Amino acid sequence: MKLFLAAFWAEILKVRRSKVPLLTTAGFLILPMVSGLFMIILKDPEKAKELGIISMKAQLIGGSADWETFFGMMNMGTGIAGLILFSIITAWVFGREFSDHTAKELLALPTARWKIVSAKLLVTMLLPLGITLLIFVVGMGIGYAVDIPGFSRELFWRSFGSLLLIAILTTMLMPLVALIASIGRSYLPPLGWAFLTMALAQIAAVMGWGEWFPWTVPSLISEVGGELPEPLGIHSYLIVIFVFIIGVITTLIWWQKADQAA
Amino acid sequence: MSLAIETKDLSKSFGEVHAVQKINLKVREGEIYGFLGLNGAGKTTTIRALLGMISPSAGSVKVLGQNIDSGGRGPWKDIGHSVEKPAAYPELTVKENLEIARRLQGISDKNAVERVISQLKIALYANRKAGHLSTGNFQRLALARALLHNPKLLILDEPASGLDPAGVVEIRELLKKLVKEKGLTVFMSSHILTEVSRLATRIGIIHEGHLIEELDAKKLEAMRSQRLEVRTNQPELAESILKKAGYSVNLNNDLLILQDDRALEHPENIATLLVNEGSPPTRLSLEQENLEDHFLRLTGAKS
Repeated sequence: MKLFLAAFWAEILKVRRSKVPLLTTAGFLILPMVSGLFMIILKDPEKAKELGIISMKAQLIGGSADWETFFGMMNMGTGIAGLILFSIITAWVFGREFSDHTAKELLALPTARWKIVSAKLLVTMLLPLGITLLIFVVGMGIGYAVDIPGFSRELFWRSFGSLLLIAILTTMLMPLVALIASIGRSYLPPLGWAFLTMALAQIAAVMGWGEWFPWTVPSLISEVGGELPEPLGIHSYLIVIFVFIIGVITTLIWWQKADQAA
Repeated sequence: MSLAIETKDLSKSFGEVHAVQKINLKVREGEIYGFLGLNGAGKTTTIRALLGMISPSAGSVKVLGQNIDSGGRGPWKDIGHSVEKPAAYPELTVKENLEIARRLQGISDKNAVERVISQLKIALYANRKAGHLSTGNFQRLALARALLHNPKLLILDEPASGLDPAGVVEIRELLKKLVKEKGLTVFMSSHILTEVSRLATRIGIIHEGHLIEELDAKKLEAMRSQRLEVRTNQPELAESILKKAGYSVNLNNDLLILQDDRALEHPENIATLLVNEGSPPTRLSLEQENLEDHFLRLTGAKS
């Protein structure tokens, strides 16, 4: 346990010193800001037009200026953008060891490789969850600043639960990204994978079999701000759990067994 | 004396490329083993196999009495290493990089980092980001990490690379001191022959994946070929005199070169003969092949 904690400490130090998590958070901050902006526009389109925020022909997504729509936007944004942003973090946590040629320093140590990889995987889950919580807090602040009507405690907890579920399910897709970063020994292959899965997730959603496609599942939860007309079946969760387990096991096996010759 | 490293028929192929083939290494405890080879000879592949970073296609590897398997298990708490070019997290300071290594090595002594920083003379740069270090100091950081846990065996890949001449001497003296005082075993690869000859007690030469020679450094001195070089004012005449006397002579740019044992053992006879026959030598010297020439001759890189 001591050595696992040492590995975890090392990963946290790398995160603290790097600009990548910070930039990812900054990128993610666009979400509550845009959601807040939409609330301003929806609240008073005429005033927004006067202020020059929208032009005459601007088309807005449906919805009204209330907390339910605001939370819905936040959750939908997390469901779609989370896949890319969390993948950037995962690609960095694993890919940087190859880009900086430091992977070879992690292989012949008293700390077993699986402990180091587990610590990395834990960071790729905790860091996105932390960022999501931060974004939610910022979103709440923006919501209050914009003075959105229709807040209720029940709505808050329901939306917050949905957001957490979306974030957790999205992070569960990350071990496979870690595997691709490891095999590809770089940042680029996992980012390519992230964009590919995001595109496929949209196609799967349009085709109507998103509940069977693990990369679509998180965005399905977000679709109606927590109020699902037909709640996702257990099979959707199981398929994400399956991808998670496969990702963790294959990443651990790869680090344990693959030749580290490059 | 027990062996710190032992490989039996170690072979590793990457697809069609046979990186190393049937390498049988024996590194005794307490010796400095110089592993010489040209670029691409198989030095780094061998080192990676010693450290369990790659699994052999055939053969076995034993380090400090423990079999190294492909699962990454090994006597790592007793081994310090630096493989290929030195690496560190660029956005972390020297101290932070070493602190990570200290914790991953499971070293409870918190002063270990300060000790190696002082040992490798990088105290001035302790709080500098590794990414801002010069190549030489980056190399020192890698060596500091390798020495952090007072290892019994040090496996170094081109340790002198990037160091300035003063740094090379300093590291050489440090390694010699550690070997002498703490009984450390050093296995170091290099293509800098003079550096190896100054430090190593045993030398293995690898070429195109094969270990083509393994010998004591002292023996290498004796094995390097010798030649007698003779200059006279009449080289053609001197050549015919020597040939008539049964010597094998090569005339190269007015320089007479003799390599047969008779000439090498008694150069004075050559001088006497040439004086008596009217072509006295203006210069007569016994030259020993330098290490580079010996190495290149062995590897066939120089005809």
